[in-house]
Amino acid sequence: MIGSRGTRGTAGALAGAAARWPTARPLARRIVLRALLTAGVIAGTAGALAPVLARRGADGVRGPASERSPRSLEDFAETYRGRHIQGSATVMVPAGAPAGTDAEARARAGVPSVEVRIDGRPLHVMRRADGSYLSMVNHYESFPTLRGVARAAVDELAGAQLSLTPTHGH
Amino acid sequence: MYTRINQRNMTRAQKRRFVDALLTLKRSGRYDEFVRMHGAYYVTDAEERPRAAHMAPSFFPWHRRYLLEFERALQSVDPGVSVPYWDWTVDDSPSSSLWADDFMGGTGRGLDRQVTTGPFAYRNGGWRIDSRITDGKFLTRDLGRPRNPVTLPTKEDVAEALAEPVYDTAPWDSRVTRGFRNAVEGWNPGGEARWRNHNRVHRWVGGLMMGSTSPNDPVFWLHHAFVDLLWVRWQAAHPEAGYLPAQPLPATDPGHGKIFSLDDPMPPWDVRPSELLDHTRHYRYA
Repeated sequence: MIGSRGTRGTAGALAGAAARWPTARPLARRIVLRALLTAGVIAGTAGALAPVLARRGADGVRGPASERSPRSLEDFAETYRGRHIQGSATVMVPAGAPAGTDAEARARAGVPSVEVRIDGRPLHVMRRADGSYLSMVNHYESFPTLRGVARAAVDELAGAQLSLTPTHGH
Repeated sequence: MYTRINQRNMTRAQKRRFVDALLTLKRSGRYDEFVRMHGAYYVTDAEERPRAAHMAPSFFPWHRRYLLEFERALQSVDPGVSVPYWDWTVDDSPSSSLWADDFMGGTGRGLDRQVTTGPFAYRNGGWRIDSRITDGKFLTRDLGRPRNPVTLPTKEDVAEALAEPVYDTAPWDSRVTRGFRNAVEGWNPGGEARWRNHNRVHRWVGGLMMGSTSPNDPVFWLHHAFVDLLWVRWQAAHPEAGYLPAQPLPATDPGHGKIFSLDDPMPPWDVRPSELLDHTRHYRYA
Protein backbone atom coordinates (compact mmCIF):
# COMPACT_ATOMS: atom_id res chain seq x y z
CA MET A 1 0.00 0.00 0.00
CA ILE A 2 1.09 3.51 -0.71
CA GLY A 3 2.50 5.65 2.05
CA SER A 4 2.25 2.82 4.53
CA ARG A 5 4.99 4.12 6.74
CA GLY A 6 3.26 7.34 7.68
CA THR A 7 -0.12 5.78 8.14
CA ARG A 8 1.18 2.96 10.23
CA GLY A 9 2.80 5.58 12.36
CA THR A 10 -0.66 7.00 12.77
CA ALA A 11 -2.09 3.71 13.87
CA GLY A 12 0.79 3.24 16.25
CA ALA A 13 0.20 6.62 17.78
CA LEU A 14 -3.43 5.82 18.34
CA ALA A 15 -2.59 2.42 19.76
CA GLY A 16 -0.47 4.27 22.29
CA ALA A 17 -3.39 6.51 23.09
CA ALA A 18 -5.59 3.43 23.41
CA ALA A 19 -3.43 2.12 26.20
CA ARG A 20 -4.33 5.16 28.23
CA TRP A 21 -8.03 5.17 27.57
CA PRO A 22 -9.32 4.31 31.02
CA THR A 23 -7.72 7.46 32.40
CA ALA A 24 -9.52 10.73 31.84
CA ARG A 25 -7.19 13.63 31.27
CA PRO A 26 -7.82 16.52 33.66
CA LEU A 27 -9.71 19.29 31.98
CA ALA A 28 -7.32 22.06 32.91
CA ARG A 29 -4.34 20.25 31.48
CA ARG A 30 -6.25 19.53 28.30
CA ILE A 31 -7.05 23.19 27.90
CA VAL A 32 -3.44 24.20 28.42
CA LEU A 33 -2.23 21.59 25.95
CA ARG A 34 -4.72 22.68 23.37
CA ALA A 35 -3.76 26.31 23.88
CA LEU A 36 -0.10 25.47 23.35
CA LEU A 37 -0.95 23.50 20.25
CA THR A 38 -3.01 26.37 18.97
CA ALA A 39 -0.25 28.84 19.63
CA GLY A 40 2.15 26.60 17.79
CA VAL A 41 -0.14 26.53 14.81
CA ILE A 42 -0.49 30.29 14.78
CA ALA A 43 2.99 31.39 15.59
CA GLY A 44 5.07 28.39 14.66
CA THR A 45 6.61 28.60 18.11
CA ALA A 46 5.61 27.93 21.67
CA GLY A 47 7.48 31.01 22.82
CA ALA A 48 6.20 33.82 25.00
CA LEU A 49 2.43 33.71 25.05
CA ALA A 50 -0.30 36.02 26.15
CA PRO A 51 -3.95 35.14 26.32
CA VAL A 52 -6.38 37.20 24.36
CA LEU A 53 -9.68 36.83 26.11
CA ALA A 54 -12.85 37.95 24.47
CA ARG A 55 -14.49 40.84 26.26
CA ARG A 56 -18.06 40.51 27.23
CA GLY A 57 -20.36 42.97 25.52
CA ALA A 58 -23.73 44.19 26.71
CA ASP A 59 -25.38 41.03 25.39
CA GLY A 60 -22.66 38.73 26.66
CA VAL A 61 -21.23 38.24 23.19
CA ARG A 62 -18.11 39.84 21.82
CA GLY A 63 -18.16 43.21 20.16
CA PRO A 64 -18.32 44.31 16.53
CA ALA A 65 -14.83 43.25 15.43
CA SER A 66 -15.43 39.58 16.02
CA GLU A 67 -19.01 39.71 14.89
CA ARG A 68 -17.62 40.07 11.43
CA SER A 69 -15.87 36.71 11.82
CA PRO A 70 -17.59 33.42 11.10
CA ARG A 71 -17.57 32.50 14.80
CA SER A 72 -17.48 35.16 17.47
CA LEU A 73 -15.42 34.29 20.50
CA GLU A 74 -17.71 33.97 23.44
CA ASP A 75 -17.74 34.84 27.12
CA PHE A 76 -21.10 34.42 28.76
CA ALA A 77 -22.75 33.68 32.10
CA GLU A 78 -26.46 33.27 32.66
CA THR A 79 -29.13 31.31 34.44
CA TYR A 80 -30.91 28.90 32.14
CA ARG A 81 -33.81 26.78 33.42
CA GLY A 82 -32.56 27.26 36.94
CA ARG A 83 -28.98 26.26 36.21
CA HIS A 84 -26.00 28.60 36.20
CA ILE A 85 -24.15 28.25 32.91
CA GLN A 86 -20.99 30.02 31.92
CA GLY A 87 -18.52 29.66 29.11
CA SER A 88 -15.60 31.28 27.37
CA ALA A 89 -13.47 30.82 24.30
CA THR A 90 -9.85 31.90 24.49
CA VAL A 91 -7.23 32.13 21.78
CA MET A 92 -3.51 32.31 22.52
CA VAL A 93 -1.30 34.58 20.40
CA PRO A 94 2.41 35.35 20.77
CA ALA A 95 3.29 38.16 23.14
CA GLY A 96 4.47 41.16 21.21
CA ALA A 97 2.37 40.35 18.19
CA PRO A 98 1.30 43.48 16.40
CA ALA A 99 -1.92 44.93 17.75
CA GLY A 100 -4.97 45.52 15.65
CA THR A 101 -6.61 43.67 12.87
CA ASP A 102 -3.66 41.53 11.89
CA ALA A 103 -3.36 39.94 15.35
CA GLU A 104 -7.10 39.54 15.56
CA ALA A 105 -7.22 37.84 12.21
CA ARG A 106 -4.53 35.46 13.31
CA ALA A 107 -6.33 34.78 16.56
CA ARG A 108 -9.52 34.01 14.70
CA ALA A 109 -7.68 31.61 12.47
CA GLY A 110 -6.71 29.51 15.47
CA VAL A 111 -8.68 26.95 17.39
CA PRO A 112 -10.03 28.52 20.56
CA SER A 113 -9.62 26.82 23.89
CA VAL A 114 -13.04 26.59 25.42
CA GLU A 115 -14.33 26.22 28.94
CA VAL A 116 -17.96 25.65 29.85
CA ARG A 117 -19.35 25.10 33.35
CA ILE A 118 -22.79 24.16 34.59
CA ASP A 119 -23.38 25.05 38.23
CA GLY A 120 -19.61 25.42 38.47
CA ARG A 121 -18.78 21.95 37.20
CA PRO A 122 -16.81 21.57 33.96
CA LEU A 123 -18.59 20.37 30.86
CA HIS A 124 -16.20 18.72 28.42
CA VAL A 125 -16.71 20.44 25.06
CA MET A 126 -15.32 19.37 21.71
CA ARG A 127 -15.42 20.90 18.25
CA ARG A 128 -16.35 19.71 14.81
CA ALA A 129 -14.39 20.53 11.70
CA ASP A 130 -17.11 23.01 10.71
CA GLY A 131 -16.40 24.99 13.89
CA SER A 132 -19.51 23.95 15.81
CA TYR A 133 -19.40 22.52 19.33
CA LEU A 134 -20.56 19.31 20.94
CA SER A 135 -20.26 18.10 24.52
CA MET A 136 -20.03 14.87 26.48
CA VAL A 137 -23.74 15.24 27.18
CA ASN A 138 -24.71 15.85 23.54
CA HIS A 139 -22.40 13.69 21.46
CA TYR A 140 -24.63 13.26 18.42
CA GLU A 141 -25.52 16.86 17.63
CA SER A 142 -23.58 20.09 17.50
CA PHE A 143 -24.21 23.77 18.09
CA PRO A 144 -22.76 26.96 16.60
CA THR A 145 -22.11 28.58 20.01
CA LEU A 146 -20.88 27.61 23.45
CA ARG A 147 -24.06 29.06 24.89
CA GLY A 148 -26.03 26.71 22.64
CA VAL A 149 -24.07 23.66 23.73
CA ALA A 150 -24.39 24.66 27.40
CA ARG A 151 -28.14 25.15 27.17
CA ALA A 152 -28.56 21.84 25.32
CA ALA A 153 -26.60 20.11 28.06
CA VAL A 154 -28.90 21.62 30.70
CA ASP A 155 -31.90 20.35 28.72
CA GLU A 156 -30.41 16.87 28.52
CA LEU A 157 -29.22 16.70 32.13
CA ALA A 158 -32.77 17.13 33.47
CA GLY A 159 -31.50 18.34 36.83
CA ALA A 160 -28.53 15.99 37.17
CA GLN A 161 -25.15 17.40 38.20
CA LEU A 162 -22.11 16.83 36.03
CA SER A 163 -19.66 14.39 37.52
CA LEU A 164 -16.44 15.77 38.94
CA THR A 165 -14.71 12.60 37.75
CA PRO A 166 -16.05 12.15 34.24
CA THR A 167 -15.23 9.09 32.19
CA HIS A 168 -13.88 9.98 28.83
CA GLY A 169 -10.85 8.93 26.92
CA HIS A 170 -9.79 12.31 25.70
CA MET B 1 -21.92 -18.70 11.94
CA TYR B 2 -24.95 -17.49 13.85
CA THR B 3 -27.96 -15.32 13.12
CA ARG B 4 -28.91 -11.83 14.24
CA ILE B 5 -32.66 -11.45 14.24
CA ASN B 6 -35.10 -8.57 14.26
CA GLN B 7 -35.95 -7.85 17.88
CA ARG B 8 -39.66 -7.68 17.02
CA ASN B 9 -39.56 -11.40 16.10
CA MET B 10 -37.89 -12.56 19.31
CA THR B 11 -39.72 -15.02 21.49
CA ARG B 12 -40.20 -14.34 25.18
CA ALA B 13 -37.52 -16.93 25.93
CA GLN B 14 -35.04 -15.33 23.50
CA LYS B 15 -35.57 -11.96 25.09
CA ARG B 16 -35.04 -13.40 28.55
CA ARG B 17 -31.77 -15.06 27.56
CA PHE B 18 -30.45 -11.88 25.91
CA VAL B 19 -31.39 -9.76 28.92
CA ASP B 20 -29.88 -12.29 31.32
CA ALA B 21 -26.61 -12.29 29.38
CA LEU B 22 -26.52 -8.46 29.51
CA LEU B 23 -27.12 -8.47 33.26
CA THR B 24 -24.39 -11.07 33.78
CA LEU B 25 -21.86 -9.04 31.77
CA LYS B 26 -22.85 -5.98 33.77
CA ARG B 27 -22.31 -7.76 37.08
CA SER B 28 -18.86 -8.92 35.99
CA GLY B 29 -17.72 -5.41 35.10
CA ARG B 30 -17.04 -6.34 31.48
CA TYR B 31 -20.03 -4.40 30.22
CA ASP B 32 -18.65 -1.14 31.56
CA GLU B 33 -15.33 -1.78 29.81
CA PHE B 34 -17.21 -1.60 26.52
CA VAL B 35 -18.87 1.64 27.62
CA ARG B 36 -15.52 3.23 28.42
CA MET B 37 -14.00 2.03 25.18
CA HIS B 38 -16.67 3.78 23.14
CA GLY B 39 -16.04 7.05 24.94
CA ALA B 40 -12.30 6.68 24.54
CA TYR B 41 -12.56 6.42 20.77
CA TYR B 42 -14.84 9.37 20.31
CA VAL B 43 -12.42 11.66 18.50
CA THR B 44 -13.91 14.58 16.61
CA ASP B 45 -12.85 15.81 13.20
CA ALA B 46 -11.44 19.03 14.60
CA GLU B 47 -8.77 17.09 16.48
CA GLU B 48 -5.27 16.56 15.15
CA ARG B 49 -5.14 12.81 15.77
CA PRO B 50 -6.42 9.61 14.20
CA ARG B 51 -10.15 8.97 14.48
CA ALA B 52 -11.48 5.52 13.76
CA ALA B 53 -14.96 5.39 15.26
CA HIS B 54 -16.91 8.53 14.35
CA MET B 55 -16.91 11.32 11.74
CA ALA B 56 -14.78 9.07 9.53
CA PRO B 57 -15.06 6.38 6.84
CA SER B 58 -14.22 3.65 9.34
CA PHE B 59 -17.43 4.38 11.28
CA PHE B 60 -18.92 1.16 9.83
CA PRO B 61 -16.01 -1.27 10.16
CA TRP B 62 -14.99 0.07 13.60
CA HIS B 63 -18.49 -0.43 14.97
CA ARG B 64 -18.80 -3.82 13.26
CA ARG B 65 -15.75 -5.04 15.14
CA TYR B 66 -16.92 -3.34 18.34
CA LEU B 67 -20.25 -5.19 18.14
CA LEU B 68 -18.48 -8.46 17.33
CA GLU B 69 -16.34 -8.10 20.44
CA PHE B 70 -19.39 -7.36 22.53
CA GLU B 71 -21.26 -10.28 21.01
CA ARG B 72 -18.37 -12.60 21.82
CA ALA B 73 -18.52 -11.42 25.42
CA LEU B 74 -22.25 -12.11 25.51
CA GLN B 75 -21.70 -15.55 23.99
CA SER B 76 -19.12 -16.38 26.62
CA VAL B 77 -22.02 -16.05 29.05
CA ASP B 78 -24.60 -17.81 26.86
CA PRO B 79 -23.44 -19.26 23.52
CA GLY B 80 -27.02 -19.21 22.27
CA VAL B 81 -27.46 -15.44 22.16
CA SER B 82 -26.61 -12.84 19.53
CA VAL B 83 -27.27 -9.11 19.24
CA PRO B 84 -30.75 -8.52 17.78
CA TYR B 85 -31.42 -5.52 15.59
CA TRP B 86 -33.94 -2.74 15.96
CA ASP B 87 -35.42 -1.57 12.64
CA TRP B 88 -36.43 1.89 13.82
CA THR B 89 -38.18 2.62 10.52
CA VAL B 90 -40.81 0.05 11.56
CA ASP B 91 -40.81 0.02 15.36
CA ASP B 92 -40.97 3.77 15.64
CA SER B 93 -42.98 4.38 18.80
CA PRO B 94 -42.46 4.29 22.58
CA SER B 95 -45.32 1.77 22.63
CA SER B 96 -43.32 -0.75 20.58
CA SER B 97 -42.72 -4.11 22.27
CA LEU B 98 -39.03 -3.16 22.24
CA TRP B 99 -39.73 -0.92 25.23
CA ALA B 100 -41.86 -3.41 27.17
CA ASP B 101 -41.08 -4.51 30.71
CA ASP B 102 -39.72 -7.87 29.53
CA PHE B 103 -37.10 -6.32 27.24
CA MET B 104 -35.56 -2.83 27.21
CA GLY B 105 -38.05 -1.22 29.61
CA GLY B 106 -39.68 2.12 28.87
CA THR B 107 -38.92 5.79 28.69
CA GLY B 108 -37.71 7.91 31.60
CA ARG B 109 -40.06 9.55 34.08
CA GLY B 110 -40.76 13.26 33.80
CA LEU B 111 -38.74 14.70 36.63
CA ASP B 112 -35.27 13.25 36.09
CA ARG B 113 -35.79 10.97 33.04
CA GLN B 114 -35.00 7.95 35.17
CA VAL B 115 -36.02 4.66 33.54
CA THR B 116 -38.23 2.98 36.14
CA THR B 117 -39.52 -0.09 34.27
CA GLY B 118 -37.88 -3.25 32.95
CA PRO B 119 -34.65 -5.09 33.69
CA PHE B 120 -32.46 -1.97 33.35
CA ALA B 121 -34.31 0.17 35.85
CA TYR B 122 -32.01 1.10 38.74
CA ARG B 123 -34.74 0.22 41.23
CA ASN B 124 -34.73 -3.37 39.98
CA GLY B 125 -31.16 -3.79 41.14
CA GLY B 126 -29.30 -5.04 38.07
CA TRP B 127 -28.28 -1.90 36.22
CA ARG B 128 -26.25 0.68 38.09
CA ILE B 129 -24.61 3.31 35.89
CA ASP B 130 -20.97 3.82 36.87
CA SER B 131 -19.27 4.99 33.69
CA ARG B 132 -21.07 8.18 33.01
CA ILE B 133 -20.86 11.90 32.96
CA THR B 134 -23.14 12.90 35.78
CA ASP B 135 -23.46 11.89 39.41
CA GLY B 136 -26.64 9.90 38.66
CA LYS B 137 -26.60 6.13 39.03
CA PHE B 138 -29.63 5.33 36.91
CA LEU B 139 -30.34 4.84 33.21
CA THR B 140 -32.09 7.80 31.59
CA ARG B 141 -34.22 8.06 28.45
CA ASP B 142 -36.50 10.61 26.83
CA LEU B 143 -38.12 8.63 24.01
CA GLY B 144 -39.27 10.97 21.25
CA ARG B 145 -38.49 14.03 23.42
CA PRO B 146 -42.16 14.92 24.10
CA ARG B 147 -41.28 18.47 25.20
CA ASN B 148 -40.04 19.21 21.70
CA PRO B 149 -40.97 16.15 19.66
CA VAL B 150 -38.55 14.47 17.28
CA THR B 151 -39.40 11.49 15.07
CA LEU B 152 -37.31 8.47 14.15
CA PRO B 153 -35.81 8.23 10.65
CA THR B 154 -38.21 6.92 8.03
CA LYS B 155 -37.96 4.25 5.34
CA GLU B 156 -37.47 7.10 2.88
CA ASP B 157 -34.54 8.44 4.88
CA VAL B 158 -32.92 5.01 4.79
CA ALA B 159 -33.70 4.49 1.08
CA GLU B 160 -32.04 7.80 0.30
CA ALA B 161 -28.88 6.75 2.11
CA LEU B 162 -28.86 3.32 0.46
CA ALA B 163 -29.13 4.99 -2.97
CA GLU B 164 -25.82 6.80 -2.47
CA PRO B 165 -23.52 5.37 -5.15
CA VAL B 166 -20.25 6.14 -3.35
CA TYR B 167 -19.19 4.87 0.09
CA ASP B 168 -17.55 8.07 1.34
CA THR B 169 -15.74 11.06 -0.04
CA ALA B 170 -13.33 13.87 0.85
CA PRO B 171 -12.87 15.50 3.29
CA TRP B 172 -13.81 12.19 4.99
CA ASP B 173 -15.34 13.85 8.04
CA SER B 174 -18.62 15.22 9.41
CA ARG B 175 -18.81 17.84 6.66
CA VAL B 176 -19.23 15.33 3.85
CA THR B 177 -22.44 15.94 1.89
CA ARG B 178 -22.28 12.92 -0.38
CA GLY B 179 -21.73 9.23 0.14
CA PHE B 180 -23.31 6.43 2.11
CA ARG B 181 -21.24 6.72 5.29
CA ASN B 182 -22.29 10.17 6.47
CA ALA B 183 -25.80 9.75 5.07
CA VAL B 184 -26.19 7.03 7.69
CA GLU B 185 -23.91 8.38 10.42
CA GLY B 186 -25.97 11.52 10.08
CA TRP B 187 -23.89 14.67 10.56
CA ASN B 188 -25.65 17.61 9.03
CA PRO B 189 -23.52 20.08 7.13
CA GLY B 190 -23.75 23.52 8.64
CA GLY B 191 -23.60 22.42 12.23
CA GLU B 192 -27.09 23.33 13.40
CA ALA B 193 -28.82 20.79 15.58
CA ARG B 194 -30.48 18.63 12.95
CA TRP B 195 -29.91 14.94 12.75
CA ARG B 196 -30.18 12.11 10.25
CA ASN B 197 -30.43 8.33 10.58
CA HIS B 198 -27.84 7.07 13.12
CA ASN B 199 -27.47 10.37 14.97
CA ARG B 200 -31.21 10.94 14.88
CA VAL B 201 -31.89 7.65 16.65
CA HIS B 202 -29.51 8.61 19.44
CA ARG B 203 -31.46 11.87 19.66
CA TRP B 204 -34.85 10.11 19.69
CA VAL B 205 -33.91 7.78 22.56
CA GLY B 206 -32.33 10.66 24.47
CA GLY B 207 -30.90 10.51 27.99
CA LEU B 208 -27.67 8.53 28.18
CA MET B 209 -28.00 7.53 24.51
CA MET B 210 -27.21 11.16 23.61
CA GLY B 211 -23.91 11.26 25.45
CA SER B 212 -20.37 9.98 25.23
CA THR B 213 -21.31 6.89 27.23
CA SER B 214 -24.26 5.91 25.03
CA PRO B 215 -23.62 2.13 25.31
CA ASN B 216 -24.79 2.47 28.93
CA ASP B 217 -28.23 2.02 27.37
CA PRO B 218 -28.41 -1.57 26.08
CA VAL B 219 -30.59 -0.44 23.18
CA PHE B 220 -27.31 0.95 21.78
CA TRP B 221 -26.39 -2.57 20.58
CA LEU B 222 -29.74 -3.13 18.87
CA HIS B 223 -29.48 0.26 17.17
CA HIS B 224 -25.97 -0.41 15.92
CA ALA B 225 -26.85 -3.90 14.73
CA PHE B 226 -29.39 -2.26 12.41
CA VAL B 227 -26.81 0.33 11.31
CA ASP B 228 -24.52 -2.61 10.52
CA LEU B 229 -27.34 -4.26 8.54
CA LEU B 230 -27.73 -1.06 6.52
CA TRP B 231 -24.08 -1.41 5.50
CA VAL B 232 -24.80 -4.98 4.37
CA ARG B 233 -27.77 -3.74 2.33
CA TRP B 234 -25.74 -0.95 0.77
CA GLN B 235 -23.01 -3.40 -0.24
CA ALA B 236 -25.61 -5.64 -1.87
CA ALA B 237 -27.12 -2.68 -3.72
CA HIS B 238 -23.74 -1.41 -4.96
CA PRO B 239 -21.54 -4.46 -5.55
CA GLU B 240 -19.05 -2.45 -7.59
CA ALA B 241 -18.56 0.24 -4.98
CA GLY B 242 -16.13 -0.55 -2.22
CA TYR B 243 -14.81 0.96 0.98
CA LEU B 244 -13.08 4.31 0.54
CA PRO B 245 -10.44 5.58 0.75
CA ALA B 246 -8.87 2.50 -0.77
CA GLN B 247 -5.35 3.91 -0.37
CA PRO B 248 -3.79 5.92 2.47
CA LEU B 249 -4.24 9.63 1.98
CA PRO B 250 -1.11 11.44 0.76
CA ALA B 251 0.85 13.63 3.16
CA THR B 252 -0.56 16.70 1.47
CA ASP B 253 -4.15 15.71 2.33
CA PRO B 254 -5.61 17.31 5.48
CA GLY B 255 -6.90 13.88 6.44
CA HIS B 256 -3.46 12.32 6.35
CA GLY B 257 -2.65 10.63 9.63
CA LYS B 258 -6.26 10.78 10.79
CA ILE B 259 -8.25 8.63 8.36
CA PHE B 260 -8.12 4.84 8.20
CA SER B 261 -8.05 3.66 4.61
CA LEU B 262 -8.87 0.13 3.45
CA ASP B 263 -5.75 -1.58 4.79
CA ASP B 264 -4.84 0.60 7.77
CA PRO B 265 -5.05 -1.34 11.04
CA MET B 266 -7.66 0.16 13.37
CA PRO B 267 -7.16 0.33 17.10
CA PRO B 268 -7.60 -1.19 19.55
CA TRP B 269 -7.75 -4.48 17.65
CA ASP B 270 -5.21 -3.80 14.90
CA VAL B 271 -7.80 -4.94 12.34
CA ARG B 272 -8.09 -3.46 8.86
CA PRO B 273 -11.37 -2.30 7.35
CA SER B 274 -10.64 -4.77 4.52
CA GLU B 275 -10.91 -7.61 7.03
CA LEU B 276 -14.38 -6.52 8.09
CA LEU B 277 -16.12 -6.08 4.75
CA ASP B 278 -17.63 -9.56 4.76
CA HIS B 279 -19.90 -10.09 7.76
CA THR B 280 -20.90 -13.61 6.63
CA ARG B 281 -17.67 -14.96 8.10
CA HIS B 282 -19.32 -14.37 11.48
CA TYR B 283 -23.10 -14.01 11.25
CA ARG B 284 -26.02 -13.42 8.98
CA TYR B 285 -29.13 -11.28 9.31
CA ALA B 286 -32.63 -12.68 9.30
